[in-house]
Amino acid sequence: MNKTFLVSGFLFLVVGSCAAQDARQIVTEAQNRSRSKSQQYEGTLEVVGSSNKVSLKRWIYQRIGSFGASKAILRFTAPPEVKGVALLIVNHPDRASDQWMWTPAIERDRRIALQDRSTRFFATDFSFEDLEERDVNQYDYKLAGEDTVDGAACWKIESKPKESKSSQYTSSLVSVRKDNYVIVQIENYNKDKLIRRVHYSDIQQVDGIWTARSTEVYDPGRQSRTVLKLEKLQYNVPLKEDDFTLEALRRG
Amino acid sequence: MILLRLISWPYIRKHLLRWMLTLAGIVLGVAVFVGMHTANQSVLYAFRQTVDRIAGATQLQISAGETGFDENVLDRVQAVPQVRVAVPVIEAVVSTALAGQGNLLILGVDMTGDRGLRDYDLESGDAAVDDPLVFLAQPDSLIVTESFARENRLAIGGKIPLSTMQGEKRFTVRGIMKSGGLTSAFGGNLAVMDVYAAQKVFGRGRKFDRIDLAVSDGASVDTVARRIKALLGPGFQVQEPSARGQQFESISRIYSLTADITSAFALFIGMFIIYNTFQIAVTQRRAEIGILRALGATRRQIRTIFLGESVVAGLAGSLLGLALGIGIARVMTGYIGALLGEVYGIAQRADEISTDPKLMLFAVVLGVITSVVAAFIPARAAARVDPVQALQKGKYQQLSAGENRTRRVSAFIVALLAVGCVLLRKYHALVYVADALAVVAALLLTPTLALLVARMLRPLLKLLSPVEGTLAADSLLQAPRRTSGAVAALMLSLALVVALGGLTRASYDSILTWLNVALNPDLFVTPSESLTARDFRFPEAMVDQLRAIPGIAEVQGVRDARIEIRGTPIMFVAADVESLVRRANVPPVAGDARTMYREAARGRAVLASENFALLRGYKLGDMIDIPTPRGLLHLPIAGIVTDYSDQEGSILMDRSVFKRYWNDDTVNIFRVYLTSGATEADVKRRILERFSAERRLFVLTNRDVRRYILRLTDQWFGITYVQIAVAVLVAVLGIVNTLTVSITDRRRELGVLQAVGGLRNQIRRTIWLEALTIGAVGLILGLAFGALQLYFSLVIVVEDIAGLRLGYEYPYQISLALLPVILAVAFISAIGPAESVVRGSLVEALEYE
Repeated sequence: MNKTFLVSGFLFLVVGSCAAQDARQIVTEAQNRSRSKSQQYEGTLEVVGSSNKVSLKRWIYQRIGSFGASKAILRFTAPPEVKGVALLIVNHPDRASDQWMWTPAIERDRRIALQDRSTRFFATDFSFEDLEERDVNQYDYKLAGEDTVDGAACWKIESKPKESKSSQYTSSLVSVRKDNYVIVQIENYNKDKLIRRVHYSDIQQVDGIWTARSTEVYDPGRQSRTVLKLEKLQYNVPLKEDDFTLEALRRG
Repeated sequence: MILLRLISWPYIRKHLLRWMLTLAGIVLGVAVFVGMHTANQSVLYAFRQTVDRIAGATQLQISAGETGFDENVLDRVQAVPQVRVAVPVIEAVVSTALAGQGNLLILGVDMTGDRGLRDYDLESGDAAVDDPLVFLAQPDSLIVTESFARENRLAIGGKIPLSTMQGEKRFTVRGIMKSGGLTSAFGGNLAVMDVYAAQKVFGRGRKFDRIDLAVSDGASVDTVARRIKALLGPGFQVQEPSARGQQFESISRIYSLTADITSAFALFIGMFIIYNTFQIAVTQRRAEIGILRALGATRRQIRTIFLGESVVAGLAGSLLGLALGIGIARVMTGYIGALLGEVYGIAQRADEISTDPKLMLFAVVLGVITSVVAAFIPARAAARVDPVQALQKGKYQQLSAGENRTRRVSAFIVALLAVGCVLLRKYHALVYVADALAVVAALLLTPTLALLVARMLRPLLKLLSPVEGTLAADSLLQAPRRTSGAVAALMLSLALVVALGGLTRASYDSILTWLNVALNPDLFVTPSESLTARDFRFPEAMVDQLRAIPGIAEVQGVRDARIEIRGTPIMFVAADVESLVRRANVPPVAGDARTMYREAARGRAVLASENFALLRGYKLGDMIDIPTPRGLLHLPIAGIVTDYSDQEGSILMDRSVFKRYWNDDTVNIFRVYLTSGATEADVKRRILERFSAERRLFVLTNRDVRRYILRLTDQWFGITYVQIAVAVLVAVLGIVNTLTVSITDRRRELGVLQAVGGLRNQIRRTIWLEALTIGAVGLILGLAFGALQLYFSLVIVVEDIAGLRLGYEYPYQISLALLPVILAVAFISAIGPAESVVRGSLVEALEYE
């Protein structure tokens, strides 16, 4: 799972008026700069609960294709109880992604019913909705001002889902760095209540693409946070379409 | 009120024992009514609560009877635009090896989407579920309720041994649900499991039991239900969760009806005791009534006094009955829950009783009305008392010849009407009318017949004991009003005993015949100890694996499940008909044995059980529309056979049809025939050796299955025995009441007897013989009327309610057994009153009244 996978839902939410056109251009530029044919990394996910209980998971992530039409496979490698469990995500430009899960212990794949998209993603602080790649035209947005995040100057962009779009969030504040168009923070609100804050750090250029290698999601309601770290990150690696099918998922 | 206080209360206080006995009739009737209904309602309530709590925010449930359906149905339902969330469910009840825990209801759900419908309270704390991904990844994962965890001292990571298709497995607690709606389902003995793991654990293949769904905001539930029904076809039921409670009620309706009949009968017999008491009270208080009338009391006031007394008696009796009924319900709820679970194979767990205020109020009203109705005729008689005649002692004690003639004529007319109704019995309701008329005719004839029998018995009594016998017989002959109520109550009770006894005997005989003909395999291989439980199933591959075991000649795989036909869940039995007939050629009730089995074996017809045909109005050759997941299956009924697989009836079809239309090749039971020379014990051992390591199974011998079925039958008839006990108890109360009255009434007479030299033993014997005579009269009339009641029971209860045709056979054994029992009971009930007379003060007795 990389930043693109996790935050794509917050990225491309842009249409609008003359003032909003700038904001849209900013986010479109951010999208273009992070575009790649494929991606691969080893991720470490650390969930810190309100009682400071920490759980750790590791996986290998592979993606093929670009925004809106990408396919990704995520295979858990640790802890031993979940080793071999895999997720196949097939994104669509016009609707929610299809997701399947493979559980080797019962040798079964299952379609993940993502109907309640506000549900937490396997006890992390991400929700299933946060995993989706979505059409930018389904959101309105406007430039909400400027800000400084981790010492870097940023544009602050407010995005709101259009009426046709159902979302647990009524608005989001997205901070985009002015120097490299990298998203460094997203605050998701329901009405005026902050639901999740996503903070991106350890920003490095990998294979020519500026990428945050650490993503922290904070849930103020639960007082918990999830930190995702990317290792062995590579872009545009040669991957085969056949490796992103249900059959491939079952092969392990 | 003033009259009640000044006139009634002193009389009641003086005859407190008699009034207590009178109240006992109402108490018992109301108690049985409240007890059985509350127990039944508690079981239903527990089932509904479980359904309701498990349903959560579910607005519609999709099922295909008990057969389940393919996984792809879920995709089709989820694709319906107005469906907000649709999730698969598997439900099963499994036994735990935890001490004292019994069964655990397992809810197999897909946790990735299910939280849209059910609140597991997993989000509220880190401890709720340790790791959802591990929960899904490991098929041994369970989430249990907080109460279950607490009771069994289980924490996250704790182990629970459960019976599965792979034998007993240890499951791991990976989550604990905090207390809330869902957690109290099934009495808190609930565990959640991943639905795909549940498929494997319970041998469901790639099928779900049902889909729970909620519609999108603004969408109409009815519209979505219609749309899904149109999409999936008639083989699926799309209903609100509450419909499951209604199905349970429909399946267990025979039990509810039995409860109604028992309590109605108890109240009806109780009515005679009240009638008797009031009749006696009116007789004893004639002088008092005469004085009141002479002082200017109107007839209405006199009637009001007696009716007022009956209201107070009814109210007191009903309230005591309520208390006793709740006690009965507490004892019976667990028993009825277990019985319904075993007979119908439907999981529920009733730990607490649920009292319904409406039922309580109804019971009180019923008790009071019964009391008032019973007292109405005596009250009217009291109002009509002529003040002059009232002060002349003795005249009132006999029924006038005119009164007797009127009763006989009325009885004759009513009996004729009853016969007319019987002749027109094709209109079912008329049979009920005929029975009611027969009871009325019998009651009208009771005084005449009682006198007749008492006269016939007089020489015998005289022979037995010249003085005491004659005195006892004359006491009955001279005061028919005093005894007719008790005799009527005894007669009705014994008639009920004879009818129920005959019914039980006929049912047993019929079931035994069926067992001998149809259930003749040597061994039965089942996935559950209970033959009615259908939570576990075997894969079809086991047929060949079993056949390969030395000593096995033939294996028949049987799949049974309830499928909804015209709104009622009907049991379907799918088996290899050709093989079935070869081994067990059940003679048809209707149809040609040669062709009907052939047609059924080829999948061109089905066979209906006799009770299904009778209850649902199907005849030989009728077409039956069977809803299947692949659409409506339209097949003729080629034959009607006797089959007791299910109380609501069953339909037998070839397994090939079931496999084709339900896409289901799983098996509930294997019927195993042995080769000649092979022994049950050896083959059973081989089967267990072959499979016990890899799957859960039970090998039952033919004797085991017979014992199991007969045990279930016994449990079912246990309720009948309760009816019999209530009937006998009420009758005994009637005798005790009558004797107490008789003795009080004749205290002076008995005192005079003692004063002129009558020995205590002679007085004792007189009372004993009087009691024995009442018992004998009631016995003779009851056994005779029972013969008629048995006929009606067979027509009404059997054909109309249970859908069975049983042969008429008078239960001589039961009648013979009743003889000493009733006479002994009559004798025992006479001991107290007799002793009270002989040990009482002679002076007081002579001064009495």
